[in-house]
Amino acid sequence: MSIHQRTLLSLVVIILFGGVLFYLSTDGFRAFTSESARTLDLMENNPPLPPVTLQDSEFRTFDLDEFSEDKYVFMTFMYTNCATVCPQMEMNMAEVYELIPPESIGKDIVFLSISFDPTRDDPETLAKYRTYYGSDGETWRMARAQDQEELDSLLHTLGVIVIPDEYGNFQHNAAFYLVGKTGRLLDVLDFTEIEEAAAAVNAVLAKGGE
Amino acid sequence: MKQAVYGLLLYLFLLLPPVADLLESIMIVHMHMQMPLLVAAGFLMGRFLQNKFPLFFEKWNHNGVPGIVLFVIIWSYWMIPRAMDEALTFQTVEWFKFFSLPFLAGVSLRDSWKKLTNAGKNSVLIYAAAMLLFMAFLYIGADEQICNNYLEIEQQTLGWGSLAIGVCIVIYLLQLLFIDQSEFR
Repeated sequence: MSIHQRTLLSLVVIILFGGVLFYLSTDGFRAFTSESARTLDLMENNPPLPPVTLQDSEFRTFDLDEFSEDKYVFMTFMYTNCATVCPQMEMNMAEVYELIPPESIGKDIVFLSISFDPTRDDPETLAKYRTYYGSDGETWRMARAQDQEELDSLLHTLGVIVIPDEYGNFQHNAAFYLVGKTGRLLDVLDFTEIEEAAAAVNAVLAKGGE
Repeated sequence: MKQAVYGLLLYLFLLLPPVADLLESIMIVHMHMQMPLLVAAGFLMGRFLQNKFPLFFEKWNHNGVPGIVLFVIIWSYWMIPRAMDEALTFQTVEWFKFFSLPFLAGVSLRDSWKKLTNAGKNSVLIYAAAMLLFMAFLYIGADEQICNNYLEIEQQTLGWGSLAIGVCIVIYLLQLLFIDQSEFR
């Protein structure tokens, strides 16, 4: 083999290696951030949600699977002190709520905003907060988890990462979660795309199934 | 040979878990200090490998192009936000970082840089500047977390850091165009 052939050969091997490295580490060029990788993984695996007991703005205590029995759940994670992404997300959630056929609401699908700041978000605070977004407190409930461990397990399953900062706020990722009738995650939706999210939910409602 | 020992010492120092934890706790230090230091450690250790296997490098990296392509691939890989995140989340990715940066990127940079023509060197610098400026644009402009392990403010700090390095490379490239280099030879 001449020196040129050898150089060419090693170049080809290196480029192939690079291609395989990039392909494998980005799930086939689909996920360049861990956030997109997380979403991709969730949508491929549809993990079942762990049990969690919630307390809502009306002081009712209930299990998530009991509230969502035989219904889809449209879910977000927030905290009421949030000044950045949560108000926008809840506002968009309200718009999605409006775009769902009213006859399905409460019967086929319920909405749920879960706070990951249970110490500050007591029922009184949540009762006030829900009125800002027109949540009726019944078919769209705002609630906090009763038990920190259960909350952590739920956040972990859905890949919600919450980092407290030094000012009592949280850095967190945000998305709409659609949970199926059997308590498995169905879809993770971009919370900034209201119409897209509503269309996805309506398609699932029309199709039925789990 | 002395420098290979220094390289090894630097590598072992960077491997120490408290050192690694500290460097990785700050985003900009993770990307613009720990990673370059790992490359530097490999660069220094490269001397030992060059002495040990002179034929291998001469045979497979004759004009320096395969080596520099490997360097560019590894460096670009570690610019992917996900790679940096996963180095913190998955042990195997962390091991790959401590292997690939010194031994694949550092050693091949050592062996390739001197073999490259001026045009080759400048192409690498242009690529690096473009990449850094793109990363700066991405990290400063993004209004969401790109890396789940770091806060947004750290992400912006990293963006400004990348911008500074990118601008320095651009200044270097511009002076190549406008200043007669033969005066300094």
